[in-house]
Amino acid sequence: MDNLGIFLQIIFWGLYAGCIYILLATGLNLIFGVMKIVNFAHGEFLMIGAYITATLFFLTGINPYLIIVLSMLVLIGIGAVVERLCFRPILGTGKLNEIFLSIGLIYIFQNGAAMIWGDSWQSVKSPYDGITVPVGSLFVPLDYILIMVFTAVILCGLYLFLTKTKIGMQMRATSQNRKGAMLVGINVERIDVISFGLGCSLAAAAGTLWIVSGQVFNPYMGSIPAIKAFAIIILGGLGSIPGAIIGGLLMGLAENGAAFLLGGIWKDAISFIILIIVLVVRPTGLFGEKGE
Amino acid sequence: MRIRQEDMATYGIIATLALALAIPFLSDSMFILNLLVLMLIFIIFASAWNLLAYSGQGSLGHAAFFGIGAYASTLIAAKSGLSPFITIFLGAAVAAFVGILIGLTCVRLKEWFLAMVTFGFAIIVQTLTVSILAPVTGGWDGIASSRLINPSIPGYQLIEYYAVLAITIASIVAIWYIMKSRIGLAFLAIRENELEARAAGIDPVRYRLLAFALSAYLAGVAGALEIHHIGYLTPELYGVENSFWPVTYVILGGLGTLAGPIVGTVVLTIIWEGLKATGLTFGRYVIVGILLILAIIFLPRGLVSLPEHVLEWLKRRRKKEPLPKPAGD
Repeated sequence: MDNLGIFLQIIFWGLYAGCIYILLATGLNLIFGVMKIVNFAHGEFLMIGAYITATLFFLTGINPYLIIVLSMLVLIGIGAVVERLCFRPILGTGKLNEIFLSIGLIYIFQNGAAMIWGDSWQSVKSPYDGITVPVGSLFVPLDYILIMVFTAVILCGLYLFLTKTKIGMQMRATSQNRKGAMLVGINVERIDVISFGLGCSLAAAAGTLWIVSGQVFNPYMGSIPAIKAFAIIILGGLGSIPGAIIGGLLMGLAENGAAFLLGGIWKDAISFIILIIVLVVRPTGLFGEKGE
Repeated sequence: MRIRQEDMATYGIIATLALALAIPFLSDSMFILNLLVLMLIFIIFASAWNLLAYSGQGSLGHAAFFGIGAYASTLIAAKSGLSPFITIFLGAAVAAFVGILIGLTCVRLKEWFLAMVTFGFAIIVQTLTVSILAPVTGGWDGIASSRLINPSIPGYQLIEYYAVLAITIASIVAIWYIMKSRIGLAFLAIRENELEARAAGIDPVRYRLLAFALSAYLAGVAGALEIHHIGYLTPELYGVENSFWPVTYVILGGLGTLAGPIVGTVVLTIIWEGLKATGLTFGRYVIVGILLILAIIFLPRGLVSLPEHVLEWLKRRRKKEPLPKPAGD
């Protein structure tokens, strides 16, 4: 294959990985925007979403691209329970507590999943496995294109939800000014639950899309993508959804480029190197207006 | 009867020390002795993390310093032939130096940003260890490390236990001294209100770096002790788990207190080994996670504040007063 081919290949890999990160980062951003908390255990919701899809797929054989909806709905429920039981009692008691609480959640979810599903690597075989679509000089697996389409559809749906529905507008109001939202009669605690659930369902979508492409998964798959998603929202500016989308794509491209140029072992480290450089040069992120 | 708090603390310290010295005579099980050595090492590690948290900086990547101390000490011992008892402190100095470097990038960062950078830093160090530095570090396979006490000496485990105990006590006394000194007060001032600390003439950057260096040094000592005790090291030392354990111990025991890391490590080790007897594997982590979350929500000042809560509760019961609403601290 010529150099251009390799280059295009890396771009496609990057875009595909970027889609997963965008969904995770957007979910984190949604939760941060409304509740001003950061959940380090967000990746565990990605993992649970992936396992729910995989389990239903193994049991019923339904197209995993359809199960994504169910997986997202289940995660809204799980997210709401976690918000109510764990995050609400400590809301406003200090940022460090949120980090420590996330560590507890990571322990519970990772090992709870290992108890239910075992800790060995598994994989799902997509119904479109092996089908490729010619794009320019390149043959791209159909799954990758479907994943990008699904990401775009979910993000458009989220945009419509946030701008057109009453609850969406209440969420935006709460995110802009929590006290003000309370004054105009918005039940901010209800909005908290909904945003947290929604953020988790986006993580479930990311998890489902991650595994349908044939990636192997185990209960510990979630932590690294979640931390990267967190790096992305710092890169893109906290609370900025367009920032998360651009940051996610850049991160996907950068790590696949680095994996190709420096070797696969650098894939995880490179995102943190980028993060540290950005934080040293521009502590508010690339698109952020004011730092937290 | 009234028990003064200071007296209680003094009796507690004496009892703990006596128990620590006597335990090898109460039980001659090598398994328990080995467990105790590892527990002491983790007390140092948790106390090191706690010292950084004392200055308001929560790190999620302390495994990096733990691992750097371990690698540096092993390599220095292998190259120079020095006794591990000397290289432990040289290796820890390397960890402290790296701690200052990472501290320099973090001085402007707080909370999540700091947590993120430190977490990422541990991953970067692990990547470097298994890629560029692999010829020296042995890559993923790891390398052998000289033993603290030569296993051919009769009763070497007992000597090792007392040696580690001595280092642990020295570390805790050092931390106690730091917390009590002007440095400790400056850490507190920065944690509580950076602006006011600055107004009082405290340079936050300098003290933050100092906290990083001290904490990284002690974490390096702990890491070096552990691998010289086990005799082998791999890059797994940099794993997320090693970064999370000190956090868990300290939060459970009591954040920002001298006794917190000790109480937390001892209690959690007992629970952990007790649960092992029931045959749980993943379930143990789930239980630790639940305990951690319960502690954060219901016992924000950790297990060390438990006696206070109990005394308070007893007093109120005696007076037949209705319980007040729990204070939201």
